[in-house]
Amino acid sequence: MTKKSRWSFNFSTASLVLIPAAVGINYIGKFFAGALKLPLWLDSIGTVLASMLAGPVIGALSGAINNIIYGLTADPISLVYAITSVAIGITVGILAYKGWMDSWPKALFSGIIVALVSAVVSTPLNIKFWGGQTGNFWGDSVFAFLIANKYPVLIASFVDEILVDIPDKIATILVSYAIFRGLPNKLTLVYKNESEIEKL
Amino acid sequence: MKRLVVEDLKYRYPLSQELALNDISFAVEKGEFIGIVGPNGAGKSTLCQAITGLAPNFLKGAYGGRVLVDGMEVAKEEIAEIATHVGIVFQNPFTQIAGSKLTVFEEVAFGLENLGIPRYEMKKRIEEALELLDIAALRDRNPFDLSGGQMQRLAIAGIIAMKPEIIVLDEPTSQLDPQGSEEVFQAVQNLSREGMTVLMVEHKIEKIAAYADKVLLLCAGKLIDFERPPKVFSREDLEDYGIAPPVFTRVCKKLNIKTADGLYPVTLKEAYDKVVKILE
Amino acid sequence: MKTLSLYQPGRSIIHKIDPVTKLLFIILAIFVPIIIGTWGAALLTLLISLSFILIGRVFKKVLPILGFSSIIILSVIIIQGLFYVNNKAPLFTLGPVTVYREGFYYALNIALRIYNILVAVSILVLTTKPSDLIEALVRKGFSPRIGYIFSSVLQIIPQMMSTVDTISDAQRSRGLETEGRLSARIKAFFPLIGPVVMNSLISTRERAMALEVRAFNSKRKKTFLHEEVKTGYSRFLQFILLAILLAAIVWRVLS
Ligand SMILES: Nc1ncnc2c1ncn2[C@@H]1O[C@H](COP(=O)(O)OP(=O)(O)OP(=O)(O)O)[C@@H](O)[C@H]1O
Ligand SMILES: [Mg+2]
Repeated sequence: MTKKSRWSFNFSTASLVLIPAAVGINYIGKFFAGALKLPLWLDSIGTVLASMLAGPVIGALSGAINNIIYGLTADPISLVYAITSVAIGITVGILAYKGWMDSWPKALFSGIIVALVSAVVSTPLNIKFWGGQTGNFWGDSVFAFLIANKYPVLIASFVDEILVDIPDKIATILVSYAIFRGLPNKLTLVYKNESEIEKL
Repeated sequence: MKRLVVEDLKYRYPLSQELALNDISFAVEKGEFIGIVGPNGAGKSTLCQAITGLAPNFLKGAYGGRVLVDGMEVAKEEIAEIATHVGIVFQNPFTQIAGSKLTVFEEVAFGLENLGIPRYEMKKRIEEALELLDIAALRDRNPFDLSGGQMQRLAIAGIIAMKPEIIVLDEPTSQLDPQGSEEVFQAVQNLSREGMTVLMVEHKIEKIAAYADKVLLLCAGKLIDFERPPKVFSREDLEDYGIAPPVFTRVCKKLNIKTADGLYPVTLKEAYDKVVKILE
Repeated sequence: MKTLSLYQPGRSIIHKIDPVTKLLFIILAIFVPIIIGTWGAALLTLLISLSFILIGRVFKKVLPILGFSSIIILSVIIIQGLFYVNNKAPLFTLGPVTVYREGFYYALNIALRIYNILVAVSILVLTTKPSDLIEALVRKGFSPRIGYIFSSVLQIIPQMMSTVDTISDAQRSRGLETEGRLSARIKAFFPLIGPVVMNSLISTRERAMALEVRAFNSKRKKTFLHEEVKTGYSRFLQFILLAILLAAIVWRVLS
């Protein structure tokens, strides 16, 4: 596959219909994580799958649309975090393309990378909009402890975010990888826009 | 007049070794009803997708030969333009609902909006399609609130409104309950009566026997037979291709009841007429 | 069948304003206070937004949206009031803890900014039918393909949620543990999410083909079943909003 097709903005219909499915999967992940009272969000499984299947651009679009929809139907602040979702989509797309998503250990490593990217992108947003907090009880407790001890807000906020992101993003990537492995070949192929028609 | 001409059609899926369609040739006249039968994996769905240009334009892979619809070579056209000449209906009604529209009426409009049909013309076509599929009463309902049979008829209406000359249906009732199936068969029969050229893949062989002018028998990507139903269903080797003949044919075969041309009757009516004749 | 939406049908003037104008208002409500940078500007914007909510008769519906963030805001007030770096002047003392003025005001500023976003977005989402918003954007030249994605998401999610109910019931009746220890609950996640996810991914293939044969990729110029509802004053409103934005920028540059 050529690099160009990976980054193509000329979307195939199959990749486009992957986006609503991805957003729906994000929503359902979040729903079950809540219903089972898991200490994780698990709300980006769909975005990750979209990136793995159709590349960074579709992944990024899935992330953005996910947050826009969530922002317009539940919590408007999530609009702001569309940026984080886009970053996750792009990162996973690149990792998958570079072959960093094709075994369990590699997927675990990718999970850590994604957590870092997510935290790096979210931290300035958290600082700008929330004074540095994430809204997660444990993370915010650590944040309070750190700023009470005169650590810079940037550090405190980053630690707050990464504490939440590390377990969440690793779990998200591992779940997505498990699902990806179960998908039939003829499905994974249709999202790739690049194959030529051979003449018989 | 030949509506559809298929010449030496070959097709292979990407990453696959075997041909899913292997040198298929046949022609369909305007207004004919063609039943497509064959065992699982025979290539029936693939053939439907090749007739509508999805293979190769959407599915890619390897392609040879030609499919001509009214003289237009489908592999060389945009799928959106082919859609105004030949339409296709799939198995699962859910996946065919565009999902972006809130009412049945708007849903039928989806394809017409994409084609840039002017508003007055669009409304006229939608009314006609709803009428023809007998779902006009559901016009303001949400498409997802319909029963399976209603939803599948809506899917057909969405295709018909684009005014294709040919409609291809790939097992349109396989996911429906008996009542839904019956509704859809009625609708398809209606279309055929209105003069539409119909190709339908169907496992319920009695339905093919009842409606089809000709049966296309497919196995392992090859065209085995393309003849009138009694001819195809009277073949001694039919079961070798995984097809059980219609129940009336089986009964007549047991009783050795043949029509004048030496074939077994395929529908209740034919069987009945023949038996009456014998008894007379 | 529900579509995912907070829209409250109504006939107020706010409902009648076209979606693009409301979008423009959101941008204004977020950026004008930031550009001007004073308390007064932020407070005034919030009051204006709230009055639109009242005119639109959707005040009750805005409360749950605010509630979502209010708990976090409360924790921000506590944490910053106690520990903000620039804390110097005590505001009040409650037993052993002292809340400081600087941190408290900093937190109030944050609260104001958050509520400004929440209320401004609420005007749009509570008084606009999602399909109208999407159609308005597509008419303005926004990609119809992206427009399609948005509308279909709003229907797909309730659709998937109804499958979710069926699957949860089925899995529970097969003895899947969904309560109790954490490890049991983690184990339950997979059988619950797996089938829905697989199904929705697998059906994208046929859905893509079904869209293609309905001219989804047509190069022709798209038409619309519904006529565009023109509100005469929408241009005028948009002009005023843009003028205010411009005035704020000029004010900032000059002062
Ligand atoms: N996307 C694909 N990639 C590779 N091979 C495929 C693909 N789809 C179908 N095939 C193969 O092509 C052949 C024909 O399949 P097709 O779906 O056309 O059969 P069918 O006659 O419609 O069968 P059924 O009765 O099960 O619907 C089969 O061998 C099948 O495994
Ligand atoms: Mg098939």
